[in-house]
Amino acid sequence: MEYGSIEREIRIEAAPEVVYQVITTPEHLRQWWPEEADLEPVPGATGTVSFGGGSKVVPLTVLEADPPRRFSFHWASDEASPVPLTVTFDLVPAGAGTLLRFTESGFREKGFEAAVLEEWYSDHVRGWDLFLPRLVAYVARLVSSR
Amino acid sequence: MSDPIDDALWSAIGDPTRRRMVDLLLTDGGGTATRLSERLPVTRQAVAKHLGVLDRAGLVRATPAGRERRYEVDEAQLARAITQLTSVGAAWDGRLRRIKRIAESIQAQLAEKTD
Repeated sequence: MEYGSIEREIRIEAAPEVVYQVITTPEHLRQWWPEEADLEPVPGATGTVSFGGGSKVVPLTVLEADPPRRFSFHWASDEASPVPLTVTFDLVPAGAGTLLRFTESGFREKGFEAAVLEEWYSDHVRGWDLFLPRLVAYVARLVSSR
Repeated sequence: MSDPIDDALWSAIGDPTRRRMVDLLLTDGGGTATRLSERLPVTRQAVAKHLGVLDRAGLVRATPAGRERRYEVDEAQLARAITQLTSVGAAWDGRLRRIKRIAESIQAQLAEKTD
């Protein structure tokens, strides 16, 4: 188990209040993530997200719920990782829209290597013209054949 | 994950010197320990050791070249490692795109109501 994190930033043409609703309420959660969500966006509240027709139910604990600025929770992303990962959404007003900053961090199998390799991979995405088209095509084939 | 990557592969690629070596082998289309050590701040012996680790993980393949061995990157194995490492991030990329789409359509509906 090693510490690793995934960080993303995305601009959304909607007010932070709207984005906050989308990331915190079960009716919206169901549209972008699990099949079912049972969750109250209140610090300390516990809930679940379920997948695969209820065959996988993952517990979730709300850490911070500060509308419309921040929402964070603990969850165990996959069966192989019993230690919870921390997911944080930070909403920053940007003009009429929102800059959403996302992080998922924690100890996971191969977490460190995954983060480092992802960076290495993106360096390659930026830097290589010759090799990468072949690799990307190959990866796409691997992914589609799974 | 249906296709777990073994530990040897992950630790092989987890080392910065070995990643640099893979970079050089890819851009040069292959090379020997001597050639690699000329371009890296490590001894030929250290390079040979690293190549051994990469070889055992299946990331490089060796063919005899005179008195030395010439190494090439196994692209299939490297691609396999990269598929694994990008899958977690890619899952969140998809979710974030959906959040964006949903929020923007709600915002557009709100704008219509107030017009």
